[in-house]
Amino acid sequence: MRKASVMIAATRLLILGAAAGLAVFLPIAAFAAHGASPLKVVETTIVDAPPGKVWAVVSDFAHADWLPGVARIEASGDDVPDQARRKLIMVDGGVIEELLTKRDAERMLLGLHREGDDVKRLPATNYTALITLRPAEGGKTQVEWKARFYRGYPNNDPPPELNDDVALAAVTAMQRAYLAALKAKVEGK
Amino acid sequence: MPALVAGIHAKTMRRVVGKASKRFALAWMAGTSPATTAGVFLSLVIFAAPALADEAFVTAQGADALSIVDLSKMQTVATLPIGGKPAGVAVSHDGARAFITSPEGKFLTVIDAATRTIEKRIPIEGGPLGVAASPDGKRVYVADLYGRRLVEIDLANGAQRSVGVGAMASGVAVTPDGKTIIVADRDDNALSMIDAATFSRVATIAVGKHPFGVTIDAAGARAYSANVESDDLSVIDLASRKVVATLKCGSRPYTVALAKGRIFVANQHADSVSVFDAETLAPVQTLKVGEYPEGLAVSGDGARVYVANWFSNELWALDAQTLKVLGKAQTGDGPRAFGAFIRDAD
Repeated sequence: MRKASVMIAATRLLILGAAAGLAVFLPIAAFAAHGASPLKVVETTIVDAPPGKVWAVVSDFAHADWLPGVARIEASGDDVPDQARRKLIMVDGGVIEELLTKRDAERMLLGLHREGDDVKRLPATNYTALITLRPAEGGKTQVEWKARFYRGYPNNDPPPELNDDVALAAVTAMQRAYLAALKAKVEGK
Repeated sequence: MPALVAGIHAKTMRRVVGKASKRFALAWMAGTSPATTAGVFLSLVIFAAPALADEAFVTAQGADALSIVDLSKMQTVATLPIGGKPAGVAVSHDGARAFITSPEGKFLTVIDAATRTIEKRIPIEGGPLGVAASPDGKRVYVADLYGRRLVEIDLANGAQRSVGVGAMASGVAVTPDGKTIIVADRDDNALSMIDAATFSRVATIAVGKHPFGVTIDAAGARAYSANVESDDLSVIDLASRKVVATLKCGSRPYTVALAKGRIFVANQHADSVSVFDAETLAPVQTLKVGEYPEGLAVSGDGARVYVANWFSNELWALDAQTLKVLGKAQTGDGPRAFGAFIRDAD
């Protein structure tokens, strides 16, 4: 029993070590190890502009420099799902890489997957988002930004700083900031 | 009414008629008039049928609950709080019980399916996720995601034993004869083959990248694994323990089900189900479904395929023959339904 728990502890260290190693040497890992319980956050806002105008901004995957904290963007893949990638070069020098997974102009739906995880920046892993636009009253647009992700710790019994609640709070705050920035960009404020 | 009658399959009709025949005999012995007896017979056919509808036992992980969906109405008719973030599910072959894994709570919940009550909770160390029941209903097999092991639970006495498998053990399937168990070792890109009698690992079979859901056909001849990272499906011949084909799917295939001589694969990122001919392995069609499809299972008569859509909180019914969408039901938040989640009315 004692041997087993030592082994589990060792495995945990190994996983943490591997995660740290990935963060330093391989920031672009397509899929990280994750546990058994995906989390979901759904945030919405109303933008005072018609859906077509909002879609023009949301769907421009390669030029989303309106995202908070982004200094500039390097993009490739011509907005083709599962090929197009963008590097968000952050004001603080960090880099976030995202893959476009869906771009449906008819349904006004954009999907993306964050490639590689940095739990220091966002205490969550395997972040996938789906942004959907729907017509709202008065010619306005409802924007829904929902995400699927896992907590920052890839195993059971997470440390308090990498548990579900921390991940949920961080993603909620991030998506609210994204929606506020989108609203400001489209409404010209 | 026609839709409802059409939804009752032959076995259910036999059961209803069988019950009605007994009532007829009793009524005759009690001296009831034939007209009344005919009335009893008819009302039994009409009113007994909905109660015998197939049901879906959908684990709603975000809601921490089990959504029970009446599949004749496509409506959630009961919600059972489970706790521990339920994910995996297996309904016993006789439909008497449902087994639900809670990977965060580290337990298996045994549900009396008819009364929709919790019979007991069985603690399982690690992260219980994939689950399958032995065909005789005496044993349950649970994959421990974190512990590199498959756990067997003897339901009669609660005894547990485990066998070592690969890293991040996920989906579990059992051959119809109950002799062989297949486990998807996600992070090893392989399947483990377990001999059920000795409960030992007899083979590992390399498949695509990150196999998650596994299914075995009715003949016990082939196993199938949906490989999340290589976007394909591995077809495995169980006798030779070899991959005989690899089929390209949509983005992030997660689970696989078999019906009407076809293979159905749920693609999480593509919001679709890939359909292949099980004989020729040729692609038949790709069906658009709800957002982020996960669990797939088949109705008792094999006519319908049900898919749980995690993002949109829906269960969709697909016609396995025409490949049309037959209906949608709202479920609790975050439906996973990872396993054999259909309770056959029979």
